Amino acid sequence: MLKSVFRFLPACALALTATQAAPAVVPPNVQLAADQTLVRHYGSEAASLDPAMDESVQDTYIDTDLYEGLTRSDAAGQVQPGVAMSWERPDPTTWIFHLRHDAKWSNGAPVTAADFIYAWQREVDPKTASIYTILIDFFQNAKEILDGKLPPSKLGARAIDPYTIEIKTIAPTPFMPQMLSNPVLAPEYKPALEKWGGEWTKPGHLVGNGPYVLQSWIPNDTIVVVKNPYYWDARNVILNKVIWVPIDNNDTAVKQFESGQLDMTYELPPGSYNYLRARYGDQVHISPESANYFFALNVADPVMKDVRVRQALDMVIDRDTLVKRILGDGEIPNTDMMPWHVAGATTIQRDWMAWPMEKRIAFARKLLADAGYNEQHPLHVTYSYNTTDINKLVGLYVLSEWRNKLGVQGKLENQEWKVFATTRHDGNYQIARSGWSADYNDATSYLDLVRCGTDANDLQYCNKKVDALIAAGNAEVDDTKRTALMTAADQAAMDDYPMIPLYQRVIARLVRSYVGGYSDLDPMDREPSQDLYIIKH
Amino acid sequence: MFAYTIRRLLFAVPTILAVVTVCYVMVHMTPGGPFDMDRKVAPAVLANLQAKYHLDQPPLQQYLYYLGRLLHGDLGASFKYPDWTVNELVAKALPVSLAVGGLSVPISMVIGIWIGAVAAVRRNSFADYFVSAIGNIGNAVPSFVLGPVLILVFALEIQHHDIGLLPAGGWGGWKFRVLPIALLTIVNVATISRVMRGSLLEVLTSSFIRTARAKGLPERTVIVRHALRPALMPVLSLFTSIALSSITAAVVTETVFALPGLGLLIVNGAINRDYTLVLGLVVLVTAIAVLFNLIVDLLYAAVDPRIRY
Repeated sequence: MLKSVFRFLPACALALTATQAAPAVVPPNVQLAADQTLVRHYGSEAASLDPAMDESVQDTYIDTDLYEGLTRSDAAGQVQPGVAMSWERPDPTTWIFHLRHDAKWSNGAPVTAADFIYAWQREVDPKTASIYTILIDFFQNAKEILDGKLPPSKLGARAIDPYTIEIKTIAPTPFMPQMLSNPVLAPEYKPALEKWGGEWTKPGHLVGNGPYVLQSWIPNDTIVVVKNPYYWDARNVILNKVIWVPIDNNDTAVKQFESGQLDMTYELPPGSYNYLRARYGDQVHISPESANYFFALNVADPVMKDVRVRQALDMVIDRDTLVKRILGDGEIPNTDMMPWHVAGATTIQRDWMAWPMEKRIAFARKLLADAGYNEQHPLHVTYSYNTTDINKLVGLYVLSEWRNKLGVQGKLENQEWKVFATTRHDGNYQIARSGWSADYNDATSYLDLVRCGTDANDLQYCNKKVDALIAAGNAEVDDTKRTALMTAADQAAMDDYPMIPLYQRVIARLVRSYVGGYSDLDPMDREPSQDLYIIKH
Repeated sequence: MFAYTIRRLLFAVPTILAVVTVCYVMVHMTPGGPFDMDRKVAPAVLANLQAKYHLDQPPLQQYLYYLGRLLHGDLGASFKYPDWTVNELVAKALPVSLAVGGLSVPISMVIGIWIGAVAAVRRNSFADYFVSAIGNIGNAVPSFVLGPVLILVFALEIQHHDIGLLPAGGWGGWKFRVLPIALLTIVNVATISRVMRGSLLEVLTSSFIRTARAKGLPERTVIVRHALRPALMPVLSLFTSIALSSITAAVVTETVFALPGLGLLIVNGAINRDYTLVLGLVVLVTAIAVLFNLIVDLLYAAVDPRIRY
């Protein structure tokens, strides 16, 4: 397996080449099954199969099978060449991608640079009304086009020739190759869109350039994709057919796995890990996800604006007990806004995590006393959450920690999901359930949580020093210095305690022992079907 | 009766319009919108989405636009699933719901009426206690418990070559329909048999039954010819609610068995604030309710000779 090597040398443009993709690797002693069909559960129904309309993990799963971007992410989460054979970065905000000449659409037509430019300009066109524009926002002029201030043709991406693309970014974007593996930035086949209009993603109409082509789609039932013979690396695609099954309820999905109907589940029901592990052994897979679960603290709230209160509440929570005794599904304790091993920063660890709990409690009590709270005048807090069993469980545990260790009087307030989303975005809360999963594996995806005025910042938090460090990091082209600046920004923000991180989420699922190629190494959880295969069983 | 049927069908139009109007106001007044997500949508993106779905227009204009489309049979584009129109989503889900709920209803009616009648005729016998027990269990045990138990027994415990006797869920051939239909039928039979038993017991104490017996008619004739038909009236009243709950609102059954039916669609539509999807399904459910009510009213006339239209 060759991995694309990616680094930047400021003095000169460096051509980054990777001439061969990483195919599904079948160990020599493994015999493949005659029937290479995989049945995968993928959570709720996909919203759309139009890359420009992608909005969820589910959409990304299916679109990874149907489309291929300039790069692709393999089973281990490593960036591999996709339609682009190689790329270079002539200056900090410019990328040049060289496309392979043998990439084809599922109807045999060649994939060219114009197909990418068309797709990207369509995505930022206000008429398209794409909902997930976080990635393309890095392209020059994207935000102005979305605002209607510039035409889509002004997007910072152009075809130098049919097989060369230049992308201009708003800031140095070292994670660009990794970002381009997201199918939301995949090319689109203009003739199909023009011919079929809104019907273009239907079976028989959809023309993709990925390893699979759409065979059927019955909403809330199945999406069936079959091997695309025109895919440039089709010889290394082993699965002939993938049946994607949407099931809202994870208990139902597990029962279908147990009855032999599913080969893989998307998730495990909360609290089921121990039971399923005992029953299915190594078929239960747990791996870290690039996602955090935390309590958002509204720093504009009259009580929460006091950093001593925020720190005191954070310090006394026993996260080990939370993840081992309360949740028990392999979650990883965390006290940083970033999960462990995020690219582009070093995850920080609170120094008080090494203290004995008694010392932490004593310190936290002193902080609260300094803030004016004591037994006669206890602190009252309200925790808002959207109604799920997990959120309630975590809320009850944390509030009991605060009550038992600090005498804090807590109140739980649950809301229906959409109502809660509005409540949190509008800052109408004191403490709120929150979480974040990365759009791309880089620290900046998390630092948006604390950057002043971003759409991701529900904390009402703003610290110019943090923003300055992020801006300096974004402008820095040396990876080591950039990482140091992003880590410093993280540290500066966390010193203000704008949130209470609790744990890093995990990818937990059942995978049949005869499904080969499955990897626990990708925190972004793409798990492309083209890297999987069925072992003879 | 023909004129009555036509009149009732014409009345359905203002009924549907009234229900749609009320629901339209309700869904738009519900806190949280279709584009409120875990992450706040950027203002420019939100503006583009609202323009695309005409949500940037004044409420009355939006309503009139929706009605105009509705009159042309167009239920609009789904907000959550932009690749599908609501017409397409309904067209995919309705056959599933009809295949499960639509089949369960007549089966439930036949079984429920039969065992309810047996229990009434053999009052205080073992058969009566057995039917009462079935009824109580069916009413007391929720579907979300009964469904998984059926799966446990027929899909997980009884296996053949590592594959369950019946699928644990999903949609396909007849095997996929057995357990959902069984679950709905058990729940429906519990209600129908109880009502039938009570109703027949009451009829059997009527003076015209006493007269029939005094005339020396055989007990079988008394029950089948004289008691059964009037005893069916309360059961017929149940028909619409049972049919609607089985066909359009079998949310628990569809969730437990992962069926791509209408119930799941309407719940997810409400959760996602998919206005057009919810309203489209409201139109459908209202139309079905009107139709079933009409059928029931016509059946009243068939069962009770005193009722004539």
